[in-house]
Amino acid sequence: MMSRPILKLVNLTKKFGGLVAVNDVDLELESGKLHAIIGPNGAGKTTFFNVISGFYAPSAGQIIFDGIDITKKASHQIARLGMARTLQVKSVFGSMTVAENVWIAAHPRGSVFNPFRPASSFTKTKEKTEQVLEATGLSEMANLVAGTLSYGDMALLEIGIALATEPKLLLLDEPVCGMSPAETEQTVGRIKKLSETVDIVIIEHDMEFVFGLADDITVMAQGGILAKGSPKEITENAEVREAYLGEEDDEDWHHA
Amino acid sequence: MKISKTTINLCVFLFFALFLVLAPFVLPLFVSPFWLSVTSEILIWSLFAASVNLLFGYVGLLSFGQALYFGVGMYGVAIGVAKLGLGFWPAFGFGIFLSVVMALIAGVFAVRLTWHYFAIITVVFSLIFYFLALSWKTITGGDDGMGFSMPPMLSVGDFEISMTDSMVQYYFILLIVALCFYLQHRLLQSPLGKALIAVRENDTRAALIGLNVYALRLTAFVSAGFLAGVAGALFAFFGRYASASYMFYHVSGEGVVWTLVGGLGTLFGPFFGAALLIILREELSVYWEHYLLLVGVIVILIVIYAPRGIVGLYSDLLDRVCKNDDDQNNKPGSEV
Repeated sequence: MMSRPILKLVNLTKKFGGLVAVNDVDLELESGKLHAIIGPNGAGKTTFFNVISGFYAPSAGQIIFDGIDITKKASHQIARLGMARTLQVKSVFGSMTVAENVWIAAHPRGSVFNPFRPASSFTKTKEKTEQVLEATGLSEMANLVAGTLSYGDMALLEIGIALATEPKLLLLDEPVCGMSPAETEQTVGRIKKLSETVDIVIIEHDMEFVFGLADDITVMAQGGILAKGSPKEITENAEVREAYLGEEDDEDWHHA
Repeated sequence: MKISKTTINLCVFLFFALFLVLAPFVLPLFVSPFWLSVTSEILIWSLFAASVNLLFGYVGLLSFGQALYFGVGMYGVAIGVAKLGLGFWPAFGFGIFLSVVMALIAGVFAVRLTWHYFAIITVVFSLIFYFLALSWKTITGGDDGMGFSMPPMLSVGDFEISMTDSMVQYYFILLIVALCFYLQHRLLQSPLGKALIAVRENDTRAALIGLNVYALRLTAFVSAGFLAGVAGALFAFFGRYASASYMFYHVSGEGVVWTLVGGLGTLFGPFFGAALLIILREELSVYWEHYLLLVGVIVILIVIYAPRGIVGLYSDLLDRVCKNDDDQNNKPGSEV
């Protein structure tokens, strides 16, 4: 039995002038699986995320998130509905401490405008902040200024910030880009664990990483969808191999 | 012995607070009574600089148009008293109310923009109303400004409290300014304050965690308009007049300079910046008409070498002193 799709796209198109970055995409991502979107540079992956998370208004089509039409919503409204996202270039609150970064994300949106109660008096937010710090392994860095973290730790903090908003869906844009092999391995473990409780979509071009992690892979090329299926189906798909990797380039395919 | 940073900060704060509270008694012992009125002016202008600081220092929006809300607050009081026949408190409220409304109207448009576009639109807004005030002579008095006679704060029978008494005037200004700084302190400690800083740090990330960046910026803009409006209303009572010249962007620029010199993004930076530069002005302008050259040099040096201003220099110094203390305490055999 197929569960309700967490994300459903109907004829989604995004044009920049004459350039069609996302071309008439129909896609359903079912809840409970770890999805990956792969494709060569310029395939439209990040634009695709930008449209879904409300940075760009789509030129045509519809986006349904967990049964709600979010096509015309602003990014902060989409975030409040339970979609969290990391960016390809790591994006945190640089001069705030790690704990403050998580705190502001964990604090319920409704009471952000409370101007006269000290922030430190919200015990629930504080507890949640500590939970997230522990879950992401950032507890020891809680009092460091976020801008001084290593690239890998910053990526981790970004995931922590996203988790603190208690999302239903987590969009990760190249989460291991720039990480050392050890950090990558750690992150794979974390993402796997996370995927038990939250739906995840990953954009990635590191093949080894994706095939070891995802339950379901969508291949994008030139703004459209080329194929969708399990890692095994994708590996065996001749069209994908041809378009994505160049013909009969078996060596690269396995080592990429 | 080791003294914690918090204790030192508290002592410094109490020193300045005590000085301000006792100023009417202490100042005449050393200098001419004229300096009490300079102190009042410093207090008022530090509130004005605080409005620049709230926007630029805490939410990352550089406004060159805060003089507009100062001027509206001033005119609100002057028109309230002279034309509408309002008493002291209603006129005070009227001035503040008008500047908040003005900030809301301008803010709805201005905070859609950031950086230089924002800076430009704030200047444009203030210029529009500056020229309007200048030409609308029947209401504003234009270049000459408009004076008014001071209504009493409280009058019961023959007993009257009024700002014409220099003591009353000083303490009223001190009380209102202190209250506004306290409100600002509460705001910055609150979740709203944290959210504003989050927007300053990274507006994209702020939106992605569900913060309404536009609403937060507008809230900051209106709050800043409020602070500038209170300062303007106080200044109107202080000088017993209002003038379009205080709406000119020159005045806005001074607020920015005071904030930069005092310490951007620090609660008391605007106070110290305004205090230093106003004292310099009062001392030097008598002897040297080109004293602004020196102010220019100070500003350039601070922007380059001390981006966090006077307060930043102070806290760096404090960090160093406390660290040295720590080092000594860690040495074996040292007495603690």
